[in-house]
Amino acid sequence: MNYKINKLDSTRLLDIGGLVLSGGRPILAIILAFLVSAVMIIIQGANPLEAYSAMLRGSFGSVAALANTCVRAAPLLLGGLGVALGVKAGLLNVGIEGQIYVGGSAAAAVGIMPIPVAPWLHLVLAVSAGFLGGAIWGLIPAYLKAYRGVSEIVVTLMLNYVGIQLCSLLVHEPSPLAEKGAFFPQSPPILASAQLPILIKGTSLHLGIILGLIAAIILAYVLFYTPFGMRTKMIGQNPEAARYAGVNVKKQTVVALILSCGLGGLAGTGEVLGLKLRLFDYFSGGLGYDAIAVALMANSNPVGVIFSALFFGALRAGAGKMETAVGIKAPIVQVIQALAVLFVIMIGFVEYNRKSKQDKRKEQMPEDTIYGSELNK
Amino acid sequence: MDLNSINDFLAAAIRMAAPLMLVGIGGVFTERSGIFNIGMEGTMLIGCMVSVYVSLVTGNLWLATLAAMLVGSLIGLIHAFLTVTRRADQIVTGAAINLFALGITNLLNSQLYAGFEYRPRVTMYPIVAPEVLQELPFIGPILFAQPVIVYLAFLLPVLATWILYKTSWGLNIRAVGDHPHAVATAGLSVNKLKYQGVIISGMFAGLGGAALVLADLGLFATGMTAGRGFAVLAALVVGKWNPVLVAAACILFGAADAFQLRAQTAQFAIPYQLFVMLPYLLTIAALAGLVGRTVGPKTVGKPYDPESI
Amino acid sequence: MDQSNDLSTLRMVGISKRFPGVLANDNIDFEVKAGQVHGILGENGAGKTTLMKILYGLHQPDSGEIFLNGKKVEIHSPKAAGDLGIGMVHQHFMLIENLTALENVVLGLPTKHPPLLDLEPARNRFNELTKEYDLHLTPSSPVWSLPVGDQQWLEILKLLFRNAKLLILDEPTAVLAPKQAKQLLSTVRRFAQEGRAIIFISHKLEEMKEVVDCVTVLRDGHVVGTVDPKEVQSAQLAQMMVGRDVFLDRRERAPYKDKKEVLVIEHLDCLNDRKLPALRKIDLTVKSGEIVGVAGVDGNGQRELAECITGLRQFTGGTIHINQKPVDGVINDTTLLGYIPEDRHKTGLVLKFTVEENLILKTFEELPYTKRGIIQWHEIRQKADALIKEYDIRTPNSMVPVNHLSGGNQQKVVVARELSNKPALLISSQPTRGLDLGAVESVHNFLLKERNRGAAVLFISTELSEVLTLSDRIIVMFNGEIMGDLNAEKVDVNLIGELMLGHREGLEATP
Repeated sequence: MNYKINKLDSTRLLDIGGLVLSGGRPILAIILAFLVSAVMIIIQGANPLEAYSAMLRGSFGSVAALANTCVRAAPLLLGGLGVALGVKAGLLNVGIEGQIYVGGSAAAAVGIMPIPVAPWLHLVLAVSAGFLGGAIWGLIPAYLKAYRGVSEIVVTLMLNYVGIQLCSLLVHEPSPLAEKGAFFPQSPPILASAQLPILIKGTSLHLGIILGLIAAIILAYVLFYTPFGMRTKMIGQNPEAARYAGVNVKKQTVVALILSCGLGGLAGTGEVLGLKLRLFDYFSGGLGYDAIAVALMANSNPVGVIFSALFFGALRAGAGKMETAVGIKAPIVQVIQALAVLFVIMIGFVEYNRKSKQDKRKEQMPEDTIYGSELNK
Repeated sequence: MDLNSINDFLAAAIRMAAPLMLVGIGGVFTERSGIFNIGMEGTMLIGCMVSVYVSLVTGNLWLATLAAMLVGSLIGLIHAFLTVTRRADQIVTGAAINLFALGITNLLNSQLYAGFEYRPRVTMYPIVAPEVLQELPFIGPILFAQPVIVYLAFLLPVLATWILYKTSWGLNIRAVGDHPHAVATAGLSVNKLKYQGVIISGMFAGLGGAALVLADLGLFATGMTAGRGFAVLAALVVGKWNPVLVAAACILFGAADAFQLRAQTAQFAIPYQLFVMLPYLLTIAALAGLVGRTVGPKTVGKPYDPESI
Repeated sequence: MDQSNDLSTLRMVGISKRFPGVLANDNIDFEVKAGQVHGILGENGAGKTTLMKILYGLHQPDSGEIFLNGKKVEIHSPKAAGDLGIGMVHQHFMLIENLTALENVVLGLPTKHPPLLDLEPARNRFNELTKEYDLHLTPSSPVWSLPVGDQQWLEILKLLFRNAKLLILDEPTAVLAPKQAKQLLSTVRRFAQEGRAIIFISHKLEEMKEVVDCVTVLRDGHVVGTVDPKEVQSAQLAQMMVGRDVFLDRRERAPYKDKKEVLVIEHLDCLNDRKLPALRKIDLTVKSGEIVGVAGVDGNGQRELAECITGLRQFTGGTIHINQKPVDGVINDTTLLGYIPEDRHKTGLVLKFTVEENLILKTFEELPYTKRGIIQWHEIRQKADALIKEYDIRTPNSMVPVNHLSGGNQQKVVVARELSNKPALLISSQPTRGLDLGAVESVHNFLLKERNRGAAVLFISTELSEVLTLSDRIIVMFNGEIMGDLNAEKVDVNLIGELMLGHREGLEATP
């Protein structure tokens, strides 16, 4: 392809400036979260410095630790990108959890099927199935949002449980995906040809994190370098202006939300084809909700999502080491994560208030309400 | 199913619906005031843990109940501060509260029963009906062999309806979620009403958590609310934000839950998962306009800006 | 509770209120007496709304005092105003749709038996009042089921219920059918007979004459005078409202040869957001090389007209053709149509986008800005830099978010985008609103340049002086109709003022 990326563009592509500026906020929030958690650790009778350094070793201290961090970051990265894409289009997809199950199920369905094709093609088919599963699942909120005026927030939230149960249905007999006579409800193992390859022998580091990184770069590129990205940001920032500029707002809403859900499906695909290697009941256990936090911490910047997913992944990876080293239970990392999010919300709105005092008018964005949107009236 | 198991099922349905109904009452008030509180799920979970802890320490289940309500109110206060005073995004705030609740209960779970060799069941809500009634054939177990909190859960929707429709404050709450500016010009404090709505939802979410433990299981288990808070959000839509209808939706959802537990063990023709999905599918159908006109409080989810008149 | 019973006079003395960039009220003196209907007349931005918001406690004046029956009062909130017996019907109804009529009426009122709502006495009072004033309202009907006219009555009933002694009615007939309006006017007279004071804001001269005892005319934040409308000519009132001490110079222009019909509108009907008729059988033709100015008070169909032409609003009847092409959807062909929308923040710009992104908002998918599906930022930047130079947009560079620019420069971004492809038709809606003098001047220059290039220009403004300055022809809109089509070279300002008030006689008098 013959196009120039000059220096200025490549920095804008990654939105480095914005990343640094908006990065200050989550970093401050994370520091505060660690401080508050340190108090809890002290109350529980351990030394927070020891605890945190054990955690650091557990997440970055060795090849195995690093691999573990990446394995844990992979679904958060893909799911976080799904949320971020939605936010760019002014849509809040809180249904990543459900999309993980549906995408994972679709990927498993292809992955356990002995298809007489080249192994790489089998893998490609299974991954595509996972993405498509999430995307088709996304048609429901997308259609309801664009053509019936129903908030995508409630619909995606409700569909989480439908998705979880759908997966459960599929792994129980007499479903064709269920393993006959198995002790646990589960699918047969994913065939070797459809498994995501392991990147480092002796670890469970699979291709998922690479998929996530590629997706992040593609998403950043698409948002900045394609008319599709331009239209998406336009409907997210000001749908009225987008309509005025000739954008088909409904169609763009549908496509953006479907792709967002597809990324959610891909997050589940990575887990099933790379880590679990079977389809299980409740295999995600809330990754989809963490993905919302991941996107929020990154201010929905695709490149920022990489860092924020790695951070959350590192917390989880390091938790075990910390538990064995100083006896603080691993779930402390969930507390740190939640506190970080709460602090981001608090700090974020201090900033908002300051801005809005300067110029009230400019900050006003059209906000949809949850039950009373325009079309429903 | 034979008569016995039907009887057993109906009794369980009502017992399992009670926590949902209690949380649903709070949900009505918060959404009527214009604040969407998905944090009720996490608040309920914390309510479960607090009630077990206080019960283990004091041995008094009423203190345990009160403590759960108090902590729930406190979480509601935080939610209100962030979403009303700071005008933060309501969904993100609620989601953060849920993450926090999950984390903190997982963290403290092992310490909750520290000093016990096995996990003791805490004292449960008493069954107060006279034994004569409890032993009535068929209806006895369903109506009378129920813990006392179940009656509260059935009474509260009626009380809440009375408050909403027969008191001035109820009128104010019904008004504020629809048109806060009109409420402000009528000389009322919009933010105060919203704080009240959210705090009430926190309090009832705490109570619902206590009821889940003290009426049914007697134990704390990680993630034990298992999405009940979200089911309540669904019931609010299906019940159109009317306390009695919401309670009815909660009973339906409780019944679906009780049924799926039985369908899991018995070999039943219809997969039990379909019953678990039911509340959520109903909600989507209601929002899509497939079952009549469903229009919720108009400004739910939207921060109130007094100057944008 | 009824200290309000004895309202006999309300006096506002020396009221001034400044907003950033405008002196909305400048030392205003104003007095209403019990038993009087007191009209307020003025163009948009004359200061009527600000004055009323001060009286109703929604704004605090920078200086000046308010006296009730000679006693100084402070009105800090709508509640304080209500306690003094002052009530207001807003243009945007303060009604809660899901509540019943009765519940709306009692909202915020104390009850006899707190905490009980105690609706029965209120219901009786409600029924008494509806009977007394011959209103057909049922206390138990939910507001969403009421037609707009009934909602208006309900707003008035709210004031009666609170026994308001001073009623502020802000364009109360705007949403009413003629018959309902008549009933409203006679009821307003009755309120006066009962000893209430009424402030009646309207732009309709006929109803002013019918209902008010005296009318105070505001212009540019000042009081021009208070007169009895029955004793003065309509032309005189119009002159008070629109008259200018110094009339701005009319901008020189050469007659344009080779005129073609560019915009042809026939029998256009459409509805506004409230689903009420906004345009009634409009016919309009705009030719190349002319500026047609649209004068009129805000809300008489101008916005809907612009939106219909640009395809943003569906119309219910009639046809629109631009260069013989029918309009049947949003037009984003920038060689055919340029549109400077009324609200640049809401419609014209994406505020968080950069200057260059906003400059290519409509054309980014075309060559050379997008090649083979990839956006060519260097092409866009070149174009943006050229436009920034040509249109003198003051910005550090093209990559600054547009909300960092001043209002005037933001508007130049819109203008540059809309004009850069030399559209055959240019619709410009309130393009100078909120701009400082220098920026106004430059927008005017651009519009004239377009006209001289041969574009057909439709210039909508509530600022009469700039319509007079720029237009070749002037049409006046009132209540969704075109009241007159005048040659701007020799037009009488006062005639336009009369037409703006819905008064056609002056037109018939001058041949």
